[in-house]
Amino acid sequence: MALSPFASRSPSVAISSPNTALRLKAAAAQPAAGSAMSAVPAAHAHSELTEQLNDSVARNYERGKKLGEGTYAVVYQGRRRDTAATVAIKKIKVNADYKDGLAMDAIREVKYLQELSHPNVIALHDVFSKHENLHIVLEFLPGGDLEMLIKDQDIHYGAADIKAWMGMLARGVWFCHENFVLHRDIKPNNLLIAADGEVKLADFGLARSFADPYLNMTHQVITRWYRPPELLYGARQYSGAVDVWSMGMVFAELVLRVPFVAGNTDLDQISKICEAFGTPTEENWPGVTQLPNYIPTDGSHIIPASGRDFFLRQFPTAGPVGADLLMSMCALDPRKRTTALQVLQHSWWTIDPRPTEKEALPQKRKSAEKKMGDDLSRRGGELPDDSPFKNAARQLDFGAMK
Amino acid sequence: MAANYWASTQRRYWLFSREKLAEVRERLRDRDKVTHSQFPLPDQRLLNVYFNQQLIKLGKRMSTRQQAIATAQVYLKRFYTKNEIRQTNPYLVLTTAFYLACKMEECPQHIRFVVGEARGLWPEFITPDVAKLGECEFALISEMSSQLIVHHPYRTLSELQPELPLSSDEVALAWSVINDHYLTDLPLLHPPHIIAIMAIIVAVVFKPSHPGGFPGSAQTALAGAMRDGSGMNMLAAALGDNSGAGPPRIHKLVQWLAESEVDIKAVIECTQELLSLYEVWEQYSEKHCKELIGRMVKSKNLDK
Repeated sequence: MALSPFASRSPSVAISSPNTALRLKAAAAQPAAGSAMSAVPAAHAHSELTEQLNDSVARNYERGKKLGEGTYAVVYQGRRRDTAATVAIKKIKVNADYKDGLAMDAIREVKYLQELSHPNVIALHDVFSKHENLHIVLEFLPGGDLEMLIKDQDIHYGAADIKAWMGMLARGVWFCHENFVLHRDIKPNNLLIAADGEVKLADFGLARSFADPYLNMTHQVITRWYRPPELLYGARQYSGAVDVWSMGMVFAELVLRVPFVAGNTDLDQISKICEAFGTPTEENWPGVTQLPNYIPTDGSHIIPASGRDFFLRQFPTAGPVGADLLMSMCALDPRKRTTALQVLQHSWWTIDPRPTEKEALPQKRKSAEKKMGDDLSRRGGELPDDSPFKNAARQLDFGAMK
Repeated sequence: MAANYWASTQRRYWLFSREKLAEVRERLRDRDKVTHSQFPLPDQRLLNVYFNQQLIKLGKRMSTRQQAIATAQVYLKRFYTKNEIRQTNPYLVLTTAFYLACKMEECPQHIRFVVGEARGLWPEFITPDVAKLGECEFALISEMSSQLIVHHPYRTLSELQPELPLSSDEVALAWSVINDHYLTDLPLLHPPHIIAIMAIIVAVVFKPSHPGGFPGSAQTALAGAMRDGSGMNMLAAALGDNSGAGPPRIHKLVQWLAESEVDIKAVIECTQELLSLYEVWEQYSEKHCKELIGRMVKSKNLDK
C-alpha cells in the first residue's frame, strides 16, 4: 500500500462506560439454559464435525504409488474415488512436530494455486489434512516436463513444436502476471506436460504477488541459469520482467537443447550473461550501476550489447521473427524487456510455421511419472541432483524472505 | 493483492448474505447452548475491538504492516464462522492468525519470535511450546479450506484517490474508516470496492473540522458527526437525487458514483453498519472483555 503501511498507530479508544448490553445480541434470543446436553460431549461433537468435513475430502482420494520424494514433500499418484480420475497427491512434510510452522513454499503454493485457474497452470483440486500432514491434490501430469524432452537426444522436434510449447508457456505466464502473481522459478523442469500435451506451469513455491510500490522483495529467487541480471545484481524491486527473462532462457534452451547461459556461481552467471548479451552499462541500462550488487566492469572488458545478428546466428531454428522475439525477452534492462502480454502479441505466433497441435507434439512416456514426482517434490530454486551444483539450494534467509 | 477478485475464493466462498451469516452462527450456537449461557461474551463488535487491540499490541514490536493486521482480522472472522469461539483459546487463535497473515502478506516473522511476543502479552494464555502455534496454524488453514488470499479495500482507495481526486486528509480519514470496518462483519458481507467507496463517501461527507489526526481509527473523529444526523441527512439527500443538492464537492462525488454503477444501496448499508459500530463502541471496556474471555478460557481449560 502506498499509504502509511504501519499498524503501530493504535486506535484511540478511551471509553469505559458501564457495560450493560454485553451479551451477544443473538445469544439473548436463545433460551437461557436449554438442552440437556452437557458441554463436553458437545465440544467433541463439534470438533468431530469439522474433522468429518475434512475427512470426507480425504476419503475421496486413494493414494497410489510414490512418484517422488524431495526435501519438503512426497508426491504420490492417486485416484479420486467419485470420478476415478487420476491425480497427484503432494504430501507436505510437516517438520519436527510443527516446530517451525508450515513451510513458506507450501503456503505459497496453496495460496496461489487456490486462486489461479488456467489451462496452462497446474490445477489444484483439493487440500486436506490427514495424519497431521497437509495434502495438496494436484492435476496429474504424466507427460514429464520440458527438461526431459530437451535432454532426450532420441526426440526430434522443430520450430513448430517449439512455438507450441512457448505459446503455452507464454499464456500461463501472462495469466499469472495478469493476476498480479510473479512465478519466480520458471525453468524447463517446472513446465510439466499433461497427457494431451498441454504444458502447465507448476511449482508455485517461490511465487508471490506483485509488491506494493517501494516495498522490497528478495532477489534470491529463480534458479540461477534462468535468473535475470537485475536479480543477480541484487535488485529488491522488480516486476514480471524477471519471469519474462526466464521464459527467454527456456526459449533459447528449447532451440539449443542445452542451457544457454549456465553459470557455476552467481558471478560466473553474470559474466556468462555479459558474454552472451553484452555488458550492462549506464548507456544500455540507466541506473544499473546503482543496484546493490552491481559489479563494475573495467572499460577494456566491456562487451557491446548483442544485436539482431547475434540472435539470428545463434538461434536459426527460431527464424528471424522468432529471434526478434527472443531478443526482446532478453533485454538487459528490465524496463526495456518485453512484457508477457507483448510476447503474446508478437507476430511470430501468426507466421509460418503454425504451432503444432498439442496432441501431435513429441512426447515421452517412459518414466515420465517419476519425473512429475521429482519435479513436484523439489524445493523451488533447486536443481535436479544430476546438475553440476547439486546442493545449490536456494538460500533464503528469513528476513529477506519477501 | 494477488489474483482477480471476481474469480477469487473470497468472492466465491467467503462472501455471505446477512441471513446466511446469522444462520451459520446460530448453528454454531445451537451445538452448545449450555456453554453459551454459561459464558456470556460481549457484542461481537466489541470483541472485535478487543481482538484488534491485541493484534496491534502483538504487531507493535515487529512493525507489522497494516495489511497483515487486516488479513489476520479477516482470518479470525472466517475461522469463527466455522468454530464456536467458546471452544477455542482466542489468544492462541489470534496469535496464529497474526502469524499466518504475516506470512501471507509477505512480511513473515519467525514462529519463536511471535510466540515470545504473545507470551509477553498474555503469559497466562500462551504456552512456551511453539508446536501449539504450529498446530493451530494447521487448523486455521484447514478451516479456511486453504483459501488464504484476502482482497482488501486499501488498494481501491489508493487507486481512486487521483481519479476523484481526494485530498490527503480525506484519504487518511477514509483509510481509518477502512481500518474500522474490520471491527464489523462487513468484510464477510461486501466486496472490498464497496467498502472503499463507503469509506470515501464517509470521509468526504463527514470530513471533520480538525484535520490531521485520525490515529488508526476514525471512531473519535466520526462518531459524533455521524450521530448528530445532519451529515446522514445530507448523505441521504445527496445519494437520493443527483439534481445538484448539497455542497458541490459532494455533488461531484455523487455524480461520479452514479456513473460508476456501484451498488449504492450496499454502500448505504455499509455506512449504517459503521454508524452502529461507533454507537456500540461507546460501551467498550477492555477490562470487561479481558475478564470474560479469561474466565471462559480458564474454566474450560482451553489454554492447555
